[in-house]
Order: sequence, then structure tokens, then C-alpha cells
Amino acid sequence: MVSTKVSRRRFVAGTAVASTAVVAAPFVRSAYAAGKLSVGFWDHWVPGANKATQELVKEWADKEKVEVTIDYITSQGNKLLLTTAAESQAKSGHDILAFSTWLPSRYADQLVPMNDVVEPLIKANGAVNGTVEYLGKVDGKWLAVPATVGSQIKGPCSRIDLLKKHAGIDIQAMYPAGAAPQADAWNLDNFLKAAEACQKGGNPFGIGLGTTSDNVDAAGAFFHAFGAMLVDAKGNITVKSDPVRQALDYYKRLMAFLPPDAPSWDDASNNKFLVSGQGSLIMNPPSAWAVAKRDAPQVAEQLWTHGFPAGPKGRFGPFLPFFWGVWNFSKNQAAAKSLITFLSQAASAEKMVIASGGYDLPSFANLTTFKVWAEEAPPKGTLYHYPNPHNHQTLSIAAAPAPHKIAEQIYTQAIQTQMVVRYAKGEAMDKTLDWAAKELEGFTRN
Amino acid sequence: MANASIATGAPTRPRYGSMSRDRRWALRWSYFFLVLFAIFFLMPPIYMLITSLKTSAEISAATNPWWISNPTLQNYIDLLTQNQFLVFFRNSAIVSICVVVLTMSISVIAAFALARMKFWGSATLATGVFLTYLIPETLLFIPLFKMFAWVNEMFGIQLMNHWWTMIILYPTLTVPFATWIMIGYFASIPKELDEAALIDGATWMQTLTKIFIPVALPGIIAATIFTFTVAWAQFLYPLAFTTSTSELVLPVGIVTTLIKGDVFNWGQIMTGALLGAAPPLIIYAFLMDYYIAGLTAGATKG
Amino acid sequence: MADIAARNPAVIAGGQRSGLHKLMQRKSTIAFLMALPLILLIAILVAYPAGYAVYLATLNKGMTRFVGFGNFEFLFGRDTFWLVVYQSCLFAITAVIFKAIIGFVVAHFVHNIPSKGQRKWRGMLLVPWVIPPAMSTLAWLWLFDPSYSALNWILAHFGIGNIPWTGEAGWARFSVILVNVWIGSPFFMIMYLAALKSVPEQLYEAASIDGATWWQRIWYVTLPMMRNIIAITALFSLIVTFANFDIVRVLTAGGPLNSTHIFGTWAFRVGIEGGDIPLGAAVSLFMVPILAVAATFILRDITKRGSEV
Repeated sequence: MVSTKVSRRRFVAGTAVASTAVVAAPFVRSAYAAGKLSVGFWDHWVPGANKATQELVKEWADKEKVEVTIDYITSQGNKLLLTTAAESQAKSGHDILAFSTWLPSRYADQLVPMNDVVEPLIKANGAVNGTVEYLGKVDGKWLAVPATVGSQIKGPCSRIDLLKKHAGIDIQAMYPAGAAPQADAWNLDNFLKAAEACQKGGNPFGIGLGTTSDNVDAAGAFFHAFGAMLVDAKGNITVKSDPVRQALDYYKRLMAFLPPDAPSWDDASNNKFLVSGQGSLIMNPPSAWAVAKRDAPQVAEQLWTHGFPAGPKGRFGPFLPFFWGVWNFSKNQAAAKSLITFLSQAASAEKMVIASGGYDLPSFANLTTFKVWAEEAPPKGTLYHYPNPHNHQTLSIAAAPAPHKIAEQIYTQAIQTQMVVRYAKGEAMDKTLDWAAKELEGFTRN
Repeated sequence: MANASIATGAPTRPRYGSMSRDRRWALRWSYFFLVLFAIFFLMPPIYMLITSLKTSAEISAATNPWWISNPTLQNYIDLLTQNQFLVFFRNSAIVSICVVVLTMSISVIAAFALARMKFWGSATLATGVFLTYLIPETLLFIPLFKMFAWVNEMFGIQLMNHWWTMIILYPTLTVPFATWIMIGYFASIPKELDEAALIDGATWMQTLTKIFIPVALPGIIAATIFTFTVAWAQFLYPLAFTTSTSELVLPVGIVTTLIKGDVFNWGQIMTGALLGAAPPLIIYAFLMDYYIAGLTAGATKG
Repeated sequence: MADIAARNPAVIAGGQRSGLHKLMQRKSTIAFLMALPLILLIAILVAYPAGYAVYLATLNKGMTRFVGFGNFEFLFGRDTFWLVVYQSCLFAITAVIFKAIIGFVVAHFVHNIPSKGQRKWRGMLLVPWVIPPAMSTLAWLWLFDPSYSALNWILAHFGIGNIPWTGEAGWARFSVILVNVWIGSPFFMIMYLAALKSVPEQLYEAASIDGATWWQRIWYVTLPMMRNIIAITALFSLIVTFANFDIVRVLTAGGPLNSTHIFGTWAFRVGIEGGDIPLGAAVSLFMVPILAVAATFILRDITKRGSEV
């Protein structure tokens, strides 16, 4: 059994080398020997947004005479994560798969390096931000290609009318459509005051404290604003530090003004809270606005997407990139790379952004000023500040800059939101920090 | 005594006539509590039905959740004209039926061997069959990934992401219980019956098909229904092993394609859930007594 | 019989010894062959993967190195693990007790009413058990929804404020148990009803002649008569409840603060979502010894039943 395995592996390795060799040659139709490619895309939350990838893939497939099958896999209930784990264990599955935030580094050993795809893209479309590089590039190797579809900034999306009424804040003046933000006053203190005012007025801010990504991302950005790191880049546990204490104290005060069931919120809860008209602010990409446009137009008209409040260490906005990667057991790696390259062109990216109503966000610097963001309505310009066009906030990911293996655990186990909830529910600061330190210690094992 | 019970109109049992007042009250209380429990038991399915008849706009308007102001069948039309939903339904139906056939053939034959033809290790095997019930599938699905990888490498057969893989996997969940029911039924058939047949020159197979299966038919029907219900409802294995929409079965299909993270499409989700629950409910409505016989098999013997 | 013997004298008179011997031999071979599909199914798809899972549990996170009991040692040092142990026991035991009580009470009421109407009630009350759990849990999820909760809407009419059904640790624990009880108690009801019907009517008559109250009748007649069936049902249910996955997974996914995680869901979180497959396998394995204790009790009953046969 052992020997057959080895020879089989050698055989696979041999074919892999052969096919990459062929891709160097121009016009490699014959290289896609199997003529078949299977793709697993993230199932988009914005109704109708899957159409863009479908059409683009068809265009490519017709041109290259490759038969492509697409699966749209939801991330709800972590189905996409489960699929990725299953394919990695079973060593078979889609040729191209959408890898969420942390997965390229988790499956680094099983992914085909993508330097030959990403480097030309950076040359053509501009640099990628630090978060994308942190997540997608390990030891000088691009493990996967930053995808437009599903990448998002989870900045605040507020009710214009309610912020004005309860907190006296004119969010449109702070973040005017088509112009740079005038948001110096938009800091953590004023944010807290606004949260209090809105809660007193009966329309609290809807920031979840559950364990799913929306909640973790928001907590991550607040922690960054204080410079609070749980684990530093070298892997040292730094949870027992003043910035972390400050962040927890701040969150404790904030939590008093959040809905009482915030600790159980998932990625859909904040959307429902906003669309139902109860909430005055949530941290979310424009999917909530898109649903409101369909189901509750009177709410949608009052929504405005903008930037995060600034803290002592700066203004951070959570950025959650998706990647497209290719398994090393894929039988058709050359074709896979060709398709990914095609999907990453500026024209393709713009098509995806439009189809998703501005939700999708290319990671490349030159691609953040498509017209669609300025034009989406109602109200006109509601999405102008969504792609961070003026680099007003630093795009970040919760748990960075810890080493990937640890950061991933911090993120998936939602250590930050759990700490917040523990402390805010009355646990002593030291106990919360001890608990976190112990959990983090567990993550450092390998 | 008889007069008393007629006068009160309460359908009491004559033997308890002397306590008819007590019984009348007991009866009222019984009905009262049964109504309460029925409300508790039926509330979720009824709420599914109510929600499924609403538009998204009405749901998000957060008006009276128990009242439908603009009933619509749109959710049903949308789902039933959607190709993928019909595919889920077809996959579920084929998988469930195949699993029923496979399970019943394996378990009826094996149960016969275990109940009647004692052989070396048969007692251990009977116990072992029962013990498999104790091994949770959450423990098994990761090793199964590894085994599938091995099968793919050795034989080139791809087991991941195919609905028919479920036909191989589900019997692990249904066969132990079905065998268990069948052993119980077969054991209650008098020994003289098969001894007579054997002496008459019938083979073991003939004894099984000509005598045991007809006699144990109610038990077989019960086990069949039970197997079908389990196969239809299974969640973890298809969640772990299938991904493409063409390969999903109904419960997983509904959970993974109708729920879209941010965008909860509750009208359609409830419609899907109700349609997914329909086949077992319909079978149950017609064959309730067999179903209950299956559940309570062996209960009165214990 | 006589007829058979007459027609087949050889069987009786002739090769009594060698024929019988051959028959026996043939019989066990045939029997083995008949049970073979069952054996193969269990060996390949249950026993082997279960063994493999034990092996996996002894590897390090990257599955490159044998660490023996390392994963278990690691687990014992974690608060979250003990929280999961506590919650699994709380979840399974509380749920089974309530299922048993509700099942018993409802069975009693159904038994009380005239037998004409019993079928109808029984049919209605068994519905939760028939709906696939993944589907009905979705309905509960929607009933519990923080923004649109239809339950809170009703409670608001009684002056009860918003209950965070899945938001607060205590309520979330209550909610997962509630849903589990909802799905499982009809099963108990139907089993107990069958058992109630098998209690001889004369025993009650005798009891009431002796002047026993209804409570005494239940305590001294019904319960002792049903002891076996109550035990078996409870143990069966305990196994299934312990190994539960879909209810907790769909309803709370373990939150808030890991307070509703049970073995199955935490193993999934650690193994699949956290990427530490060996640790996930180790967590799942903890179910087995607890279930084995339950199994020995059940097995005693089985052997009893076997000897009756």
C-alpha cells in the first residue's frame, strides 16, 4: 500500500510539473488536456450577484473550449469551511476554490503557489493592502489570489435620520458623497456618546458580540484602534497589556448601549436589526442596504455607509478578503490559473462589483474608484465611502499581526468578542485576561 | 350506575361508574392539558406554514407574526419552479428509497440468521450491531474523508460530492435499528413453524421468504417507514460529503442554499422546510399505526 | 408431522447423525453468509473509521507526529473542555428527564380519554418526532429570532419583555433543551402509551377498591409496571441526546460564550473550524466512555430479553 501511494504521488507530481511547463508556452489550449474545470465560488449574499461570475466564467470557457462547472457554496453555517476541510482531507475536489480569510495560510502545504498570477496583477492594477498581503502571502509565496467576489470592508452603515434625531450627528456631512471625509470628530468618544443617545432614543447601535465573522471583525477594529494585540507578530502572548485593558473597558461601556442579546448575534442578526427599522447603526458591508432596498425601501433611503471612528492608535476598518486558490491535487492547474487571471482583470472586477451592487471589493489599489460606488442609490452616494477611496482608514483584520496559525484560532474561536462579553458581564478584568491567556497558550501548540 | 353515566353524558367506562364525577373532572383536565400540549407540539409547524405564506416585505415589516395580511403562494411557486429545489427533492427521494431497499434486504436476512440460525459468534454479532448505535457520526466523518481519499487513489472511484455516496453511508445509521426491530419480530414467531418447513425440505431461504416475511410483514413495514424517516432526515453526512447543488439532498439543500448569511429569506426557508418535512408527514399520516408499531417494537416485551 | 415423517422416512430413520451434522454445518455457513453484508457494512463503515478516529486522536495538530495521550492531556487543562463536559451532561440529562416527564404525563392524558379519540390525539402529538430535526430546528430558530421573535411577540401581550432566547447563556441553554424536549418527548409519549395499555386493567380496579388515590395508583401500579420500558426509553434517548449535533449546531452553533457547546458541536468547532482534526477526534471520543456506561445498562436488558426469547 505504501509503495503504491508513493508511486502514485510521484506520478501526480510529475504531471503537475508537466502542466506548469506547458503553461509557459503561449496559447495552451491543448494543455487543458482534460478540458474540464470545476470551480467552487462563495455563494454571494447579495441577490443576483452570482450572475457576474457565471457570465464571466462562461465567456472564458467558450473562448478556451473548457467545460467548467461552478458550485456556489454558502459560508452560512461554515459550509464553505467544511467543504475546504473535506477536500483537503479527501485530496479531491474543486480545481479552483474560494478560500476565506485565513484558509490560504491554513492549507499552505496543499496550495499551488500563485506568484506567477498575482505579481503581474499587482503590476497592472496596483498594490494590495497590508492585510491582503499578511493573509495571502507566506514566506514570499502567494498562496492564493485575492478575489474580488466576497471581499469586503465591514464599516459602519448608519441611519441618517436616526443619528440626526437621537445623537445630533449629520453623517452625510462627515462623509460627503464624492469628496474626502470631514470626520475628525468621528472618534471613539463621540461614537460612545452617539451609541448612548441612540439607545436612549429606542434605536440602539446593532453591533453583535457573537462568534461569527461580523462580530469578530468589528471587535478586531476596535481593538486595533487602541493598539490592543493579543499575540504579537513573533507569537508572544501580549494579552495582559494596557491597550487590551483599555479596549475591554471601552467595549464594556459600549455594550451597555447595545441590544441585550448581542452576544448571540450571527452574521444575519445585525442585518435584520437594521432592516426591521430597530437599529441605527451596524457594522456590515452593503448587503443589509441591498436587502432593505428590496424589502424595506423606506429604511434603505436613510442608510449611509461610512468609516470607522478613530481611536488613540488610529482609524481602522475591518477588511475581509476572499481568495481564489488551486489545490495541488488539481488535475488542471494551468487552466485554473488562466481562469483566475481572467477573473482578476479590471473589466471582470468591475462587472462583479456592479452585479453585487457595490458589495464586492477588489484588493488592488487602482480598482477602488469604479463609478458604481458613487452612483448607487438611494440615497445617492450611499456607498461612495464604502471602498475606502480616500484611504481614510487603515484596513485591518482582527488578530493580526499574530502568526497565522495563532491568529486564525483567535479569529475562529472569537476570543476577542468572548473576552468582551465576559468582562462586560461582570467578570474581573484579571480573570478575563487569565482566561484569554490560557486559551491563547493552547493555540500556540502545534 | 348506567343512568348516572348517561345523565352526565360523559363517556365513562361502566366499571368506574361509581366515580363518574371524578372521572368527568379527570377527563376535562385531560382534554385541557392535551390542548395545551398540542399547542406546544404544533406551534413550530404552524408557524412554518404561516411564514411560508407571507412575502418578504410583510415579514420584514415585523407586524403581527401570527397573522397573514396578504397571503401569497409565491414562495411555493418560486421553489417548485426552481430547478435546483426539484433536484434536491429527486436526490432525497432516490437516496431514501435505495437506502430503504438496501437496509431492508441486509437487515431482514441478517436478522433471520441471527434470530433463528445461531452460528459461531452470532450472539456477539447481535450485541455488536446494537453497539454501533453508540458510535456518533460526528466521530466517523473525518476518518471517512481519509478513507475516501484512499479509495480514490487506489481505485480511481470518487466518493466525495456525490449523492449516491449517501446510499452507501446511510445504512450504517439505519441497519442496526432495523435489524434490531426485525430480530424482535422474528423471535416472536413460534419455532414450530420453521421447523416444520425445514423438515418438509424447504431451504433456509424458502423458510425466510415463504414463512417469516409474510408473518412479520407488519414489522417489516414499520422498519421500512422508520428507515425512510431516518434516511430522509439525515443531516451531518450529506453536509460533510456533498457540496454541489446537483448533489445535495433536501435538508442540507435547504439549509445551505436558502439561508444566505446576511440575507435571511425566511419566507422561502420556511416553505422549503415545510416541503422537506412533507414526505415523512404524508407517509406518517397514512401509515401512522405501522409507524407507531415500529417505534414501540419490543416495548411491551421489555 | 406424522405426514412428513411418513413421506420422508430417511430423514428420521437414516443418516440421523451424519445428516444432522452436515445440516448443522451447512446451516452455520449459510447463516454466516446471510449475516455477511451486515458484518461488512459495520466493519468497513463503522468499526474501521471508529478505530481510525482513535488513531487520529493520538496525532499532533499537523497530523505528522504521534503524541500518545498528548491531546487528552491538553484537553484536561482547558476550561472550555470542562465547560463542554458540564454542558453535555446538563443538556442530555435535563433533556431526557423532561422528555420522560412530559412523555409520561401526555401519555397518561391520552390514555385517560375515550379510546375513540385517542388515535387522533396520538397522531397530532407525534408530529414533532416525524419532521426532520434540521427542518423543525429552523422553525424554532425563526421563533427565537432576536429581531422578529414570534414568541416574544406573544409574551409581550402578557407584559413579559424581550427574552434573549439564544442570547444569554442561561436562556440559550434553556432554548436548546426546550427544542430537544420538543422533538423527543413524543417518542416517550408513544412508548409509554404502549406500555400503559399493557398494564392489566384489573390492577387498577383492585387498587381503587382498596381506596387508592390517583397518585397512589400511579406510584404503586403504573410506575412499577412500566419500570423496564421507562429505563430502556430513557437510555436510548440519552444516547441520541448525547450525540446530538444538528439542534445545537443550527440553533446556537455553541454560543454565546461556548455555553451551549456539547461534545459533537465542539468537536466540529475544534476539528473543522479550528483546523485541529486530531483534537476534534479526541473530543468526540469522550462521548464513547459515557455512552458505554449507558450501554452496559441497556445490554443487561437486552440479555434479559434474549433469554426470554
